[in-house]
Amino acid sequence: MLMAVKNQIKVVLLSIKYSLMRQMVNKFTFISNIVFMIINNASMIIQWIIIYSIKDTIGSYTLKSVLLLWGFASSTYGVAHFFFKNAFDLSDFINTGRLDTILVQPKNTLLSTITTDVRVSAIGDLIYGYILLFIYGVTPINFIVFTILSILGGLIITSVAIINGSLAFWFGRSDSIANTVESIIVLTSTYPEDIFNSFVKLLLYTIIPVGLVGYIPVHIMENITLVPILVIFAFTILFIIAANLVFYAGLKKYSSSSLMNARI
Amino acid sequence: MAIITVKNLSKTYKVKEKEKGLLGSFRSLIKPKYKTKKAVNNISFEIEKGEILAFIGPNGAGKSTTIKMLTSILTPDKGSIDILGLNPSEDRKKLAYEIGSMFGQKEQLWTHLTPYDNFKFFGAIYDIPEKAVENKIQEFKDIFEIEGFINTPVRNLSLGQRIICEILVTLLHNPKVLFLDEPTIGLDPVVKEEIRALIKRMNKEYKTTIFLTSHDVGDIEKLCKRVIIINDGKIVLDDSMENLKYHYLNKKIVEVKMKEKVNLDDEDGITILKDKGYNLKIEVDLTKKTISDAIKLLNTDNIVDINISNTPLEEIISEIYKKAE
Repeated sequence: MLMAVKNQIKVVLLSIKYSLMRQMVNKFTFISNIVFMIINNASMIIQWIIIYSIKDTIGSYTLKSVLLLWGFASSTYGVAHFFFKNAFDLSDFINTGRLDTILVQPKNTLLSTITTDVRVSAIGDLIYGYILLFIYGVTPINFIVFTILSILGGLIITSVAIINGSLAFWFGRSDSIANTVESIIVLTSTYPEDIFNSFVKLLLYTIIPVGLVGYIPVHIMENITLVPILVIFAFTILFIIAANLVFYAGLKKYSSSSLMNARI
Repeated sequence: MAIITVKNLSKTYKVKEKEKGLLGSFRSLIKPKYKTKKAVNNISFEIEKGEILAFIGPNGAGKSTTIKMLTSILTPDKGSIDILGLNPSEDRKKLAYEIGSMFGQKEQLWTHLTPYDNFKFFGAIYDIPEKAVENKIQEFKDIFEIEGFINTPVRNLSLGQRIICEILVTLLHNPKVLFLDEPTIGLDPVVKEEIRALIKRMNKEYKTTIFLTSHDVGDIEKLCKRVIIINDGKIVLDDSMENLKYHYLNKKIVEVKMKEKVNLDDEDGITILKDKGYNLKIEVDLTKKTISDAIKLLNTDNIVDINISNTPLEEIISEIYKKAE
């Protein structure tokens, strides 16, 4: 069992390494993708600087809190899209029969599917998240907590993407649902929760788990204690279990496809 | 002893039916209609260790669905599959260590990596120790002559070299059974021959059981000793290559160049395929007339040149397809 886990991790790391090598073939594209993503993210923060020059706080959020919220939004997105890019293209994998070559391998189908590609621009998101942490004020402890919460948040976003993408097993194309949910996550995770009414807040802490990947982590960083971190960890496990259950239930309905495809 | 046993295997797909045009699309959106298609309909067969079996049929006959059920990609609706004592639906990972699969239309190699790096990657997938992978690569170099391109990125290889590597990568873990789904699709005749030689060698060197689907009659004729023909989800023929030829090769094609014209219009057992005056192409039905009688009718003194050949296997197979329909 332990050996199987070790071998699975080895394959995942090799997949990520080779995917990264593929993206590095064109040096200019590789670097520009990262740099322009940082610039793109940085341009979004200008509106908040202007707003906070007029008003000191929005609800309980100061400018620093919003910067941190942006930091989490960016780093969790970076973790999810860099390491698990294909989770966000799962519907396409299912509809075009690209699971075939993975299913014949003696490895975890879901993990192998989502880790066979990386999104280079997500490195920019990840770096930007840490830049904002440095602006917020970095300490060794909050650096570690920020990293842990970013990984957990990335896993939650990935799990949500897997659940939505897996709907393709039952309903054909589900990419529009997956894209819409992802857009809502990205959009709402960059605004302070206090601007939303109670109903929206309820959604953001349940179906669209922005509360777990952004709001609660910001509060944890402002007052670091172990319990809320463990709560987020427990929720992450629950999301991963749910994603696995939905994916493997759907896999029984997989109908493949005769479309030609290649690992390019 | 059978290495693969398939009993009463069935798989049905639900296919959405859409009426023509925009209005049809709207109707389909509001009240979708579905029809069920039996892709594989109650098929049974056994395959012995070391056999090279051709599993053939026209497009949509159920070949790929069958191979996908055998390789754990699809779950059957009914029936059972036993490969080396394992059930593909329940023992996917265990089975993957025992079999190899290559789909001509779906590449699994990383195109920016060299074959060498790909072998190393797939070695990790099958948990093969580094040293054993190196030994296997050396073995491939010695037996299959890949030395010249093993360090060239896959995207820069010719299609033939790529397919050779696609097949070799499935051999890294010494599979006992190899499933090849149209391995020679899109290849030129020279490369097809290379791939056939490779398959023959694999079977000879490693005693690998090979399950082959192909539309290429050359693959079937040159590689397989047994043929299963599937049409409309059902097995319409399961026989040895020898029997197939014996039972269906009861016609000969005679092409002859003559000094004088001969009239064979009303001869029983002879069909004129082409008549260009002094050049004649006829088909002789051996159940009605012997070749010797047919030649006598042409008059041996009258013959300048003659060529007698069998009906191409391609025609035999398409005849079987038509009969099944």
